[in-house]
Order: sequence, then C-alpha cells, then structure tokens
Amino acid sequence: MRELILFSPEIFMALTLGGIILSEVGYYGERSRLITATALLGLGGAFVQILLIYGLGPATAMSKVISVDGLSLFFKLLAVVLGGLSIICANASSEIGQDRRAETYALIIAGCLALSVVAGAADILLAFLALQCLNLICFGLVAFARRSSSSVEASIKHMISSAVAAGLLLFGFVILFAHTKTLNIYEMHTVLISSPLPPHAALVSLALIFLSLCFQMGAFPMHLWMPDVLQGAPTPIAGFVAVAVRLAGLAVAIRFFVVLFAQAKLSPGQWMVMGSVDWPQMMAIVSGLTMSVGALLAFRQHSAKRLLASLFVSETGFFLMGLLVLDQMGMAALLYNVGVQVFAWTGAFYVVGFLYDQLKSDHLTDLSGIMSRAAPECIFLLLCLVCIAGLPPFPGFLGQFALVGAAIRHDWYALAIVAILSRALIAIATARIGFSLVGNVTQQLAEEAMGTLPAPVAVSPGRRVFLFALLMPMVLIGVFAEVLLDWAGKSLHFILW
Amino acid sequence: MTKHLITLMVFLPVLGAILQALIPKAASRWGFSLSSWVTLGASLASSICGFILVLGMRPQADLQAIESIPWVGSFAISYEMGVDGLNALLVLLIVIIFPLLIASEWNQRLGAKGMHGLLLMLQASLAGAVCAQDLFLLFFLWSLSSIPFYFLIGIWGGPERESAAFRTLVSTAVGGALLFTAMILVYYSVDPNTFSLRELAQGQLGTKTFNFFGRQISSSNVAFVLIGVGLALRAPIWPFHGWFIQAAKQAPASVFVALSAVTVPVALYIFIRVTYSLFPSTVLTSSTTIVTVGLINLIVGGICAITQKSLKSLMAYICVGQIGLALVGVGSLNAAGVVGAVFQSLLLGLGLASFGMFTGVMISRVGKAEFLDEESRPSFGGLALRAPWLAAVAAVATASLLGLPGIGGFVGNALILIGSYSVHPAALLLAGLATLLATYYLFMMYRHVFLGRMGEGVSSFSDISVWERSYLFPIVLALLIFGIYPKPWLELVRPTVLTLLSTIK
Repeated sequence: MRELILFSPEIFMALTLGGIILSEVGYYGERSRLITATALLGLGGAFVQILLIYGLGPATAMSKVISVDGLSLFFKLLAVVLGGLSIICANASSEIGQDRRAETYALIIAGCLALSVVAGAADILLAFLALQCLNLICFGLVAFARRSSSSVEASIKHMISSAVAAGLLLFGFVILFAHTKTLNIYEMHTVLISSPLPPHAALVSLALIFLSLCFQMGAFPMHLWMPDVLQGAPTPIAGFVAVAVRLAGLAVAIRFFVVLFAQAKLSPGQWMVMGSVDWPQMMAIVSGLTMSVGALLAFRQHSAKRLLASLFVSETGFFLMGLLVLDQMGMAALLYNVGVQVFAWTGAFYVVGFLYDQLKSDHLTDLSGIMSRAAPECIFLLLCLVCIAGLPPFPGFLGQFALVGAAIRHDWYALAIVAILSRALIAIATARIGFSLVGNVTQQLAEEAMGTLPAPVAVSPGRRVFLFALLMPMVLIGVFAEVLLDWAGKSLHFILW
Repeated sequence: MTKHLITLMVFLPVLGAILQALIPKAASRWGFSLSSWVTLGASLASSICGFILVLGMRPQADLQAIESIPWVGSFAISYEMGVDGLNALLVLLIVIIFPLLIASEWNQRLGAKGMHGLLLMLQASLAGAVCAQDLFLLFFLWSLSSIPFYFLIGIWGGPERESAAFRTLVSTAVGGALLFTAMILVYYSVDPNTFSLRELAQGQLGTKTFNFFGRQISSSNVAFVLIGVGLALRAPIWPFHGWFIQAAKQAPASVFVALSAVTVPVALYIFIRVTYSLFPSTVLTSSTTIVTVGLINLIVGGICAITQKSLKSLMAYICVGQIGLALVGVGSLNAAGVVGAVFQSLLLGLGLASFGMFTGVMISRVGKAEFLDEESRPSFGGLALRAPWLAAVAAVATASLLGLPGIGGFVGNALILIGSYSVHPAALLLAGLATLLATYYLFMMYRHVFLGRMGEGVSSFSDISVWERSYLFPIVLALLIFGIYPKPWLELVRPTVLTLLSTIK
C-alpha cells in the first residue's frame, strides 16, 4: 500500500490520461472544453499529491526500481507545472486544430508521466525505457501540425537523432551491466567501488552515456537537432518538447553521475570511481563549447524560434557547469536555474506562438513593429528573454551568478571566463529580438498619421491573466531566491545512496 | 518614514514605471497627460526623498541612513543601502536631473509612455546603484541601468540609431561581463565569502591570490583591472569612447544627458568607492596610471572637441575630457584632488545636463545641432538678440564647463588642479593646457551660435517658453548655488574622503 501511495502522482496522471482518452470519445462540441478542465485538474491533483509525498521522506518503491526522494520530487513538480502550462498554451494556440486538442493533452500528460518516471528511476533499464517513452511522445507532438511539411521533417529528424542517442545509451548501460551484474544504480555503485571498471571500459561506457545525455540535454556535439526540431514543431509544443526533454536529461545526468560515478558523499569535484579518466576536464570542454556555440548560433538566426532554440542550447552549457562541479552549491544552483527557466521558456515560446498565430511567421523581419500592435505580449516576451539571458532584475541573473560562482569555487577560471563572455554574447543576441519587436517607430508614426497602421491585436483578458500568472513566479523567485535555493539544496540531500 | 528614504527614492520611480504600463493607452488627450503627470509625479516624489535625505545628513565619515535586509542568505547577498560623503552629491545629481529630463521630454509625441517609463527605470536603477553598499546589489542595479539606454537610443534616436544602440549595448554588455567577473573573484577571494562593501573594505582582500593555469595571480590586481576596464567601457575613457561619440550623435538630447551627465559620474563614483575601499594597495601602486589615463583623456577630448561642428558631438568630447580631469583628481590620492573629483563629478553632471538641455532646445527649434555647416560657416549666428534667455542659460552652462570662478565648475577644477600638483607638476601643466583648449572651443561655439551676424533661417527663432524655463532655470540655479557657496557640500564630502585616503596610505 505504501508503495502505491509513493507512486500515487504517477497513478493519478495515468488515470487522467485514461479519462482524457475516454472523454475524447464521449464529448463533442461545446462539452469538449471539459477535456481541458479534466487535464488541468488531473495535473493539479498530481501536484498536490507530490507535495503531500514530501512528508513521507525519502524512500524506494517497486522493489527499489523507483526512488522517491527530494530530487525526483523536485523534477516531478516541475514536470507537472510544465505540463499544465503547456496545456494552457496549446489551448490558446491556433496552430493546433480544435478537434485535435484532446490528443495533444493526452500526449502532453503522457510526457509528464514519462518525465516523472525518469526523474525517479533508480534502475538503468527503467531510466532507459522511460527516456525513450518520453522521446517517442515527443516525436508525435512535434509532428502535430500534420499538414506542415516542416513539422513532419522535424519529427523525423528528432526521431533519427533520438534513435542514435538511444543506441549509445543502451551500449553504455550494457557495459556497466556486464561488469556489475545489476540494474539498480545504488547496488552498481557499491560494486564499482569494490571492483572498479577497467579504464578502457570505463572510458567507453561513460563516453557513450554522456553523449546520449548530451542529446537529451541539447549539449554540444549533439545539439544540432534542437533548432531544427523546435522550428518545425508547433510553437506551444516546441516549448514543452524543449524543456521536457532537457529536464529528463538533467534528471538522469544528476542522478547517475552523482550516484554512479561520484563518491558516496557530495564532496566537491570527486569523480574517483571512474579512475583514470579525467571526466571533469571533458565535461568542462563540452560545457564551454555548448554555451559558446549556442551563443554564436543565436547571432546568425533569422527565425525567432530558431533563435530561442540556440539560446536554449547555450543555456544547457551553463547547466553543465553546475553539474560539473558536483557539489551541493553547484547543483543547487543548477536546480534553481531549471526551476526559473521552466517559466521563462514556457512564457517565451507562448508569446512567440501567439505572434505566429497573428502573423503566420516567426521571421524576425516579419515580427518587425509588432510591439505597437500587441504591447503587453511583446513586453512580456522581452522580460522572459531578459530572464533567460541572465540580466537583472530577474532571477536568471542570480542563477547565472550562482553557476559561475560554483565554477570559480573549484578553480574553473577558464570556463568561468567563457561563460561570462557567452553571457555577454547572449545579451546582445537577445537584444536582436527586442529590436525587431519594436521595429521602426518613426515609420509606424507616419503610418498611423496616414491611417495605414494595422489594427492592434484584440485584447483578451484571459491571455493577460495567463501572462501575469507566468510573470509572478519569475518575480517571486527573484525576491525569495533564498527559499528556492534552500529547497533545491535540500532536494539534493535526499538522493538515496 | 525617514528610515526608508533611500528605499522610497529607489522604488517610487519603479512604481511610476509600472503605472505607465497600467494606465490605458494614450488614446484621449486626457489619458496622455495623465500618464505624463504620473511620470513627473513619481520622479519628483523620489527627488523630494533624495533632497530630504541629503539635506538631513551630518558631515561625518560613516554611512548614514543605512537600510539592511538580508536577501539571499546562502550567498551573503543583502539589500544594503546607505549614503556617506562619497555618494551624497551623486544622489543630489540624480534627483536634480531626472525630473528635469522628464519635463524636457514632456511633448514627446512618439511613444511618450514608453520613454517616460524607461527614464523612470533609469532613475531608479542609478539612484539605487549610487546608494548600494553591497557589491552584488551595486552590480545588479548598475547593469540594470544599461538596458533602458538600448531602447532609448534604438527607438527615439536619429537615422543611424540602430547601429548606435547596438554599439552601446555591446560595450555595456562587455563592460558588465568584466565587472561580473571581478565581482565573483572578489567574493570568492575573501573568507568568509561576502559582498558587503563594509566588510570587504577592512583590507580583507590583501594579498590573496588565485591559481590560473598553474600561476599565482593577485586577486586584487586582476579585480582592479577588470573593474577599471569594465567601468571605462561605460564611462567613455579613451580608447573605449568610440561608441559614446556615436551614441551622442544619434541619441535624443535628453537621453544623451542621462548617458553622459548621470551615468558617467556614477561610473566614476563606483570606481572610487570600490577600488579605494577594496584594493587600497593596488590603487596606491597604480595612481600614476590613473592620472596618466586621465591626462590622455583630457588632451584627446580637448583636441577632438576643437574640430567638432555639432553641439552633440562637442558635448560628447567635453564629457570625455572632463572625466579625464576627474580621473586626475582620483589618481592624485590627496584630499584636495579627491574631494575635487567628487565635487567635480556633481558639477560636471550639472554642467553637461544644462548643456545637453540647451542642445535639446536648439534641436527642437531648428531641427539640427550643427552650429557649423560643411564649410565651417556658422549656421545660426546672432541668436543672443533673438533669444536672450537661452543665451544666458548657455552662457552659464559653458562657463561652468570651463571652470570660470563663481560658477559650479570652478571649485572642482581648482581643487583637482591643486591636488594634481603634488603628483607631478607636468600633470598640472597638461591639465591647465586642456583648460585653455576648452576655453577656445567653448567660446568659439558660443560665438558661432549666439554672437555675430544673424544667420539665415533663424529669423523666426523664439526665446525659451515658460515650460522650457521651468526645467532650464533650476539647473542654472543649481550651478550658481554650488559655485558661489560650495562650503557645506565640500564639508559633507571631506570626512569620508579623508577616512578612505587614510586606509590607502
């Protein structure tokens, strides 16, 4: 019974999923609005259950396959929040047909479910399966704008690169399993301590796993799918796919690296189990390359979605910096950032999707001057970008400081310099979007005088409320940064050993 | 109430900016003026808080009106604000200039709400940066103050505004990155890690080193260089002044006033505050460098200013030169020089602001700022007869920038020159030479614009209106007050400066 309670958010999500599928069959016309309500209520229920499970303390369930600890609960909360926000975004978008909303919600909730399982997986096989399940759902979601060839193309690209990544991950896991004869990562850890892997096997295994996780997180050299897929996918879906896939990758990376390859205590920079291979060095290179490549790519983009995707890649590099130092502070900073960015990215993709609905394009030149027609939305997009770029006054700034600080604490000065330079580049790249949103004001004024200025976008109170609701957590996280940092730190305490 | 004057001063403009977003779109005439009045009200209310704060200060070395609230405990970041002799005059500068700037943009037709909101954000962030006593908070507000400029130049600027805005953004972003590095370096060099300037000031950094690719490097030297270059990118220190000149040509006059008359003195203040208190030994060893950079700036600014044909670029080079003079004072490391530099940063701001607003009036009248045409013939000429009041305002602004006795600029100039003598007589000589240059180019400008034969196309030139007087006269008045009776202000500055200097030597 206790195990069922520990697993109840997932069960609840599965029930919601079933309910949506059933109601899609049963409801039609006006009543199909109930489907949205069902989906949101289901996720809300799961959210409450996750909060309640916090009280039950760290535990394992299902014969130690699932671990219910601070880390997994943190990611589950984010998954549920992301799912809820994505459903609202998808509901507002006209890129997804009215008759296909229910399917979208079902897929999004299934994605959240998969993400929750990934976050709690303490078993390499379960982690692999749940990751692939999430990727599979994402292929479907990406291809959702069925009539658009770019959407299908994006989906196929995603599928191919994901298949490669899955293969790599499986090979890496197989080597570990062959040596340790166990699937549970905690047992694996004890075996690895008593009889370490031979250096070459360790190198191959960790390289394969790391490359695969790079795909999942969108890190160099496996980042190339990101701009293509995010551009092709329907915009509200793009936000969900990007954030969810990376959350899954980070969850696995944190748990596996901390448990498998680090010492039993979170003491800084200790990667002793894998012996002769200099992992931090390699990860530092990957991290530095990811952030600079993303920032440089962002300079060259002409499509708002692709630009966002490049910024997204660059941000992954920063997250890797928190993972690399492998100490309490670095990873707390990582989790803090992940938490902040769920809101910022959802908001950014939502507004870009909204603009796409208005203009049928996300090309920067087409966006020119849209600020005069939809000022609140554009200002909100700029605020999200400011948060993403790590500029004051948003919490992204503090998050950036915490990550760079963590690197400096462990004497990664060169990496910190690369990080700061890429941040400066990102700030400049971000400003390009801001500029095209504002457009040529003098010309607009002339058009206004002549009466040829397009009419402003219709005001919708619901949209404003949603934007405000997204902005609030961003502001509050900044003001009460201490609380979230503390909570993120605590989440790490309870990684079960 | 009096305990939270700084917070009120910083957050009232933010409130005003938020209200700009909430007040319905400027459709009716009524809505238009409402949002403008809200802007002015918020700015004035903040200014009143600032005035009460500064006028209520006692001339002592310690921080006053301290407010301290822990913000992010795990990184020892706190919301810590306070004023002392070093920043009191800067507070005064900000609270005088911003309401007047907003008044000068009163009739802005193009997105007035946006411009007013951005100006309010600037006021808040700069006032906050001046009062912040926590390194993180200081950097936070300082980099926040760079964002509005991008939009202010990029939207309301001249024909090449986009490239000007872009260059401004690039230089501020790079400068911000350097400061950020320095900040983190300082934070992790001390034990226990702290951002509080008061705790850092107790010589904590000392001889700390860090390991960079196997070499031990002194933290304070690196941080000093990073902070110096990072601030030089925002204050137009040669050779980083290219963007500033372009911004001057493209930005609207009022925005350029904020960019030069306020931001530059604040950058200078941050330099004094952070380096004097954090790296006293590095400052001592590099004082000659500071003076040299200042002198180069002074000469470069002076020589370039001679060839300018536009009021805007002339003002930019005056700023480049004047900041050099202030740097000479900073590097002199004696009481006269440093007090002079602090006082000069206030008067430089006021002088540039009055000059910039005068430029704005000219542009609004004749649509251009070029006082000489392509072949160096005066384009206006003889305006003094048409617009005596404007001529008087411009005369005071020019005289203050020159440092004529009786008007603000004189006191600062004289103190800096006295201070510079102790460094090297050559410094005094060069500074004096630069002042001569300034006399030449400013008087030539004045002659071309106001004196001589009346030019073509200025026959319909009207004198300044009542509304324009309302924002030009207060600043002229301030220049005169500070020039005729500087004693209380100097006494406010002196104790803090003496305390700081005593830690250096």
